[in-house]
Order: sequence, then structure tokens, then C-alpha cells
Amino acid sequence: MATATLPGNLPVVDDLRRDRTGHVRGRTIADRLVGWLLPLLYLVAIVPILDLVYWVGRAALPTFTVAVITTDPSGAGGGLYAPLVGSLTILLFATGFSLLFGFFGGLATAEYLAERVAGVIRITANVMAGTPAIIVGLFGYIAFVSYFGWGFSLAAASVTLGVFMTPYVFRATDIAYASVPPHIREAAVGSGARPLQYLMKVATPIALPQVLSGVFLAMAIGVGETAPLYLTTTTVALPPLGFFQPVSALSLYIWSDYQTGFILPIAIHRAFQAAFLLLVIVIGLNVLVRIVASRSRRRLEGLYQ
Amino acid sequence: MSAALPPDGAILSVDGLGVTTRDRDLLDNISIDFSARSLTAVVGPSGCGKTTFVRSLNRMTELTPGLRIRGTVRYLGQDIYAKGVNPVVVRRRMGMVFQRPTVFPMSIFENAAFGLRIVRADDGEVDRAVAEALQRAGLWDEVKDELDRPALALSGGQQQRLCIARALAVRPRVLLLDEPTSALDPGATQRVEATLQRLKEDIVLVLVTHNVGQAARLSDRIAFLHSGRLVEVGATADILERPREKLTEQFITGRYE
Amino acid sequence: MAIIAVLLGASGLENFGPSFWGFNATNYGILIFVIGSFLTSVPALAIAMVVGLGIGIASATYLPRILAAWLDPFVDLLAGIPSIIYGLWGYLVLGPFFGQYVFPWTSTRLAFLPGLAANRLSPAPNGLGLALAIVVLVLMVLPITTVLMRDALKSVPRDLWESGLALGATRWEVTRRVAIPYSKRGIWGAAFLGFGRAIGETVAVFMVIDQAAKIPTNVYGGTSTMASLIIGSIDAAFNLNASGVTELHFLAELALVLLAITLVVNVAGRWMVRRTYTEVAGL
Ligand SMILES: Nc1ncnc2c1ncn2[C@@H]1O[C@H](COP(=O)(O)OP(=O)(O)OP(=O)(O)O)[C@@H](O)[C@H]1O
Ligand SMILES: [Mg+2]
Repeated sequence: MATATLPGNLPVVDDLRRDRTGHVRGRTIADRLVGWLLPLLYLVAIVPILDLVYWVGRAALPTFTVAVITTDPSGAGGGLYAPLVGSLTILLFATGFSLLFGFFGGLATAEYLAERVAGVIRITANVMAGTPAIIVGLFGYIAFVSYFGWGFSLAAASVTLGVFMTPYVFRATDIAYASVPPHIREAAVGSGARPLQYLMKVATPIALPQVLSGVFLAMAIGVGETAPLYLTTTTVALPPLGFFQPVSALSLYIWSDYQTGFILPIAIHRAFQAAFLLLVIVIGLNVLVRIVASRSRRRLEGLYQ
Repeated sequence: MSAALPPDGAILSVDGLGVTTRDRDLLDNISIDFSARSLTAVVGPSGCGKTTFVRSLNRMTELTPGLRIRGTVRYLGQDIYAKGVNPVVVRRRMGMVFQRPTVFPMSIFENAAFGLRIVRADDGEVDRAVAEALQRAGLWDEVKDELDRPALALSGGQQQRLCIARALAVRPRVLLLDEPTSALDPGATQRVEATLQRLKEDIVLVLVTHNVGQAARLSDRIAFLHSGRLVEVGATADILERPREKLTEQFITGRYE
Repeated sequence: MAIIAVLLGASGLENFGPSFWGFNATNYGILIFVIGSFLTSVPALAIAMVVGLGIGIASATYLPRILAAWLDPFVDLLAGIPSIIYGLWGYLVLGPFFGQYVFPWTSTRLAFLPGLAANRLSPAPNGLGLALAIVVLVLMVLPITTVLMRDALKSVPRDLWESGLALGATRWEVTRRVAIPYSKRGIWGAAFLGFGRAIGETVAVFMVIDQAAKIPTNVYGGTSTMASLIIGSIDAAFNLNASGVTELHFLAELALVLLAITLVVNVAGRWMVRRTYTEVAGL
């Protein structure tokens, strides 16, 4: 029979356990092998992250006392009070700045702007979110430190970091408001809610958790940044004194300890202590992001039922 | 056309088939035979287990975690769930067509050739098998000049017939179809039905449909499922005109709610 | 209001851009740094794409859902670590480890491969150089590539998957022949966005690359990327501010070139990946 030579054709005696037509054994073994080998690639992520956390902990914790977060740095040693407060202060103002532009910008884009304008702004924000921090830093130096004459200062650092964080806040806000289920909006408008009422009473409660998780994420990304700060402020051993005074930050202390070459062991310890503090803040913020995000997802799903 | 089909007797025989989740039966004690050159329509109200049933015939059920399978399904006398039987081998014997067309993101030709490529068939054989499959699926005349075009450019009905051709290209003895026309417009439905009409001269067809009219037009036999049980199976004319069971009658006459 | 923020970012850079183009009178050519950037980013991206695709396939196809749900956060966590900490760890921990155990082995046993043989200066015991920068960049880019490809693979319709399996294909065959072609956009998007991340990375790269304005003769040697040059030379630029304006202008121009590259790459990547993923790494 001519068709009997077709490889897809079934054998005349069709024994399911002894099928020689389809290279079944080899293909099944290949599949099993892939199934065993590919998950091993997770090790590429897991081993380094555990090693990194282990080393930061090991180098930071034995010498970690309350003094680390209560005293100011001195020379290559001392505590990290000033940089910790500095980091948090910069973060506070930077977050404020990014909320001002990111939140209201995102809100306007999601709720009020024409679709075409909104599209252009979204693309711009997406692309801005991918701009390297060093470029934002250089921009901050040229614009704020130099052109506006703020000098290396809390103001320049906060605004620069704020610019860096803005697109993340913007996108979170935009997506949050845009993903309020349409039937809810229709119901609100249909029952005679005025636009502002809809915004305050209906959309915002629904969107807020997602906005918050975006803000926390932006903070987690921002607080660890080094390049934008290094170009807009300088390390000082004192907590922030004023807007137009330099302010230090945890990441800057790691950086400057690195630059002095870690000649003294205490410099290494201090760098790792700063790294430890940063990790705690960053991971804490990430946990917040996850909690808030999963809440908001559950709530959104609830709205669709 | 098809090789070595037993002249008579069951190709597939299902005996005491049950599918259960942790807390309920999706299928309960189903026994039915499918013999060569027949088209059996599986009908029943929504959620009665039609999809679950056809999926247990080619071991697709086991892809859903948490489902347990009881009973036996024999293909040419061999239990497909027996130890040492590879589901890959089983599925090759039984083509499957889904509710919505599921063409792959590749050319028309490569779609039809998929089942042959994975077993490393050589090019001449692939060419022949693809042409034959497209002819059997009634698509050849429409696409023979544009085999290299992406399959996604075809219309819905053409895509569904391509899916049938793709399943036929490995020359299975059984073709399982789960509501293959429910996403198609009347014209496309009619063409798919014409294809099935021809195919049933050849192989075993199991057609799940919610459309009694379609069952009447195409099938030799109707199997009526209700809440996971096989209520009644019989020749199409008998089931339509003289159902033995009340449930069947209600469903057939559209009085089922 | 976002417009203002956006314009601030974009137009501010434009303002100092064009007027400074003419000042390129330094003896530095920009080319070394462009090459240095590509020498670090391209291999790092290639590795991160392969590993990321593997993890994505494992997560989307092979692993039980519960196991994947436990393992995936580790990858996400990689994205959360600040670059300065990667730099610190790379400089003090990973560098010596590679310098003492890995590179001596690769430079002797694998010396037949191009670029892997040792020379007089490298590999050094501290391990710093191009190769270490690539290793650190792989870790930093991995979460982006993995998350984007994992999501792309997971969005392959169930029907499509099952059609492949129903034809008697194995999971691996369906992955290779159906799921990957179907996810092509997401995979390209991962490559573009991952590249944008790699080429813009600054402090971590600077700390492990053994900064030098040269193209190394083997993979262990020091070099410099555009970004690492900016952070590395900025002190000098600040100090020279009165007399050495050109230095700062040169860095600004370099930044513009870098910006142009990341812009192109990110626009392409965004165009590929329509959806936005806000919960991991600000993707
Ligand atoms: N994995 C599962 N776990 C639990 N229940 C399931 C599962 N899969 C299906 N079911 C349930 O089993 C029943 C039968 O489902 P099935 O899809 O086989 O019905 P059907 O007859 O094909 O319905 P329809 O006509 O709507 O396609 C339904 O009640 C469904 O909710
Ligand atoms: Mg169904």
C-alpha cells in the first residue's frame, strides 16, 4: 500500500507500547531531560542572591550595634545616622516631587486627556522609565546644581531623584485609574455622579492601592540609586541642615568608601552596614508593594464578579 | 485510503469510564464502543461532561491537575491508560479539533506538517502527506497556491478546516471534535460539515455538538450525556424519533431547561 | 503636568546637547567607550536571554505551579537589589572568587577559545575586568528578561498548547515550535529592554570593570563603558569646571549618545511589549 510508507501512517500492527514510527523514546527522553535541566537555571538567580545577602549580613551584622544608626560617621568609621536620615529625607522630598508630577500627570492622562495625547505621553513615560540613572544625574547636575545654582544640595538631589522616580509613579497611576472597570464608571455616571464626585468617591478608592504599590516601588528603586545623588550632592557627615546644603545618603557612603579603596577594615564594615540598611529598606518596600498589589488585584477581581 | 482498518468491530471501546475531581464525579461509569467508519454525535446540556469525555479518549484529561480517571479506554484492544503506554503515542492515534480554530503562528503548510515535522519525516513524505490531508479536509483547492502564507490570514472556517487537516496529516484512526463549528458562521459551518460527511467514510469520528440539527445531519449514532452519565446511545433516527428515556426526549425536543 | 516633567527630562537634555557638539576637542575619542559598552552589554544580554528563556519555560511549562510560585520571587528579588550593592558585592566578594578560582581555570583550560587566554596583566587575583562586569550585568538584567519572557510564554492560549500536545507532540516540542514563535514579540521586547538596562548600568559596572580607557586584549582585562566613564570622570570634570569645561561637555555629549541608544532600544522594546508590568522592577 502506498500510503503505508508515510511516517505518519499507522503501523498495520498497532501496538501502543512498541511504536517505532515516531522516534517516541528519544523525543520523550529529550522532553524529560529538558524538564529536569531547565529548572536548574533558577540556580543562576538563587545562588547569587543568597550569596549576596549572606555576605552583606555576615559583614554587617557582627559589628552592627544601635550606635550604627544613632551616631554620625567619623573618618572611615563611625555610625550611619547622617546618611540614613539623609537618604530618607531625600526620598521623602523626591517622592513628594514624583507624586506632584507623576500622580497628577497619570490621573490627567487616564481620566481627562484625549486618547491620542495620552498615548504620546504614555510612550514618553515608558521610555523615560528606561533612561539610565546616570543620565538623569547628569541632567540634574547641569540643570539644578549648575544652571539654577542650587549647588550640591538636598534640593538638587531630591528634585533629580524625583525626576527619576516620576515615570514609575506616573505609570502606576495611569494604569490604576485606567483599569477601573468600565461598568463601574458607567454606573456612577448613569446614577448622576458629577465628574469630581466620580473621581473622589468611586475611582480613587478603587485605584488607590495600585497607585500606592507603584509609589512604593518607585521609592524602592529610588532609595538605592547612587549615580543621580553622586552628581547632585556630596557626602557630609552631618544630617541635612537645609535645602541648599549638601546631604549624604547611604548609597553615597558605600560609594565613597569604595573610592577611598577600603584601606581600613572599618570602612569595609561601614560600607556593608550601609548596604544592609539599604537592603532592609528596599526589601521592606518591595514587601509592601506585593501586599498592596495583591490586595488591589483581589479587589479588582471582586469588582468584576 | 486508510490503512489496515479492521473491516468491522470496535476501534475504541470505553468501559466503565469515570472522571472525578476531589469532590464530585464529572463522568460516571460510561461504557460505549466506537467502530470504524462511523460518526457518533455526543450531545447533552451544557456542563454535562461532553468535553471531559472526549478529552479522556486521548489522554488530554490528565493535563488538568486534580482529575482522577477510572475505568478503561481500549484502542484496538489495548488500554490506553495502562502502565508503559506513552500518552504521546496515544494522542498520535487520535486527532483532536477544538471549539475555536487553533492554528499555529506559522504558514499554512507548516501547520499541516506539524505532526510530521516532530517525527522528523523527510520532505517528500511531508509534501505528500500535507497535500493529502488538505484534500481530505476539503481545503486544498482554496489554499494550494498560497501554502506559504501565514495560517492566521485564513478565515475562521478555513482555519478550522486547516486544524482538521493538521490532525489528519498524521493519519489517525480516530478524530475527536469538540463543538468544531460553534465559533463559525453558517457558511463555514456547512463546509466543515461537508468535510466531516466525507471523513466518516474513512475513520472514526466523535463529534461533540450542542446542535441537535447538526447531529441529525451528520451522525450515524447519537450518545446523550446528562450530568456525567451516558443516558442513552442509539442510531440517530431512533434517538431522534423514538428516544427511550424521558431526559433524552426532553433534550431532543428542546424542552430541556 | 506629566508633560512638564517629561519635557523637563527631554528638553533639558536637548538644551545642553546641540550647543556642545562642537566642543569635542578632547583627545578622547568616543569610540572606545561605545565599544566598551557593547562589549559588556551584548554578552551579558545574550547570557541573560538564554538563562531567562530557560527559567521562563521552566516556570510556564514544566514546574508545578506551587513550586514556580516559590521560585519566581527569587528572580524578582534580583531586580530589587540596588546597583551599588551589586557593585560592593562584586568588588569585594565575587571579584576575588572569580579571580582566584574561576578565571585561572578558564584562562588555562579554555585558553583555546578566543579571548579567554591569559596575558601579562589579566586575569588578576582581584578578578576585576570585563568578564566580571559581564557576570554582574547578567544578574542585573536577568529579572527583566526572565519576567518579560515568562509572561509572554504564559500568555500562550491553552487551546494552542493543547492542540500541539493532541498532535502527539511533547511539551518541549510544543514549547519550541509553537510557544516560542507565538511569544516572539515578548522575547524581542525582553531583549531590547534588557539591553537598555545593561548599557545604562553605571556604578556596579564601574566598581567591577577595572576602569581603563582601552579595549582589553582578553576578556579579563579592564575597559570602560560610556556610563562608567561618566561616573568615573565626573570628579575631574567638577574640579576642572572653571578651566576644563570641555571635560564636562564631553561627558554630556557622551551621555547624549548613550541616551540616544537607550531611547531607540526602549522605544523598540516598548513597542514589542504592549503590556506594562509594574510589580516587578518597575518594568
Ligand atoms: N478541572 C476541573 N475541575 C473541576 N470541575 C471541572 C473541571 N473541568 C470541568 N469541570 C466541570 O465538569 C463539568 C463538565 O464539564 P465539561 O466541560 O466536560 O462540560 P461540557 O458538556 O463540555 O459543557 P459545554 O457544553 O459547556 O462545553 C462542568 O460542570 C465543569 O464545571
Ligand atoms: Mg465543552
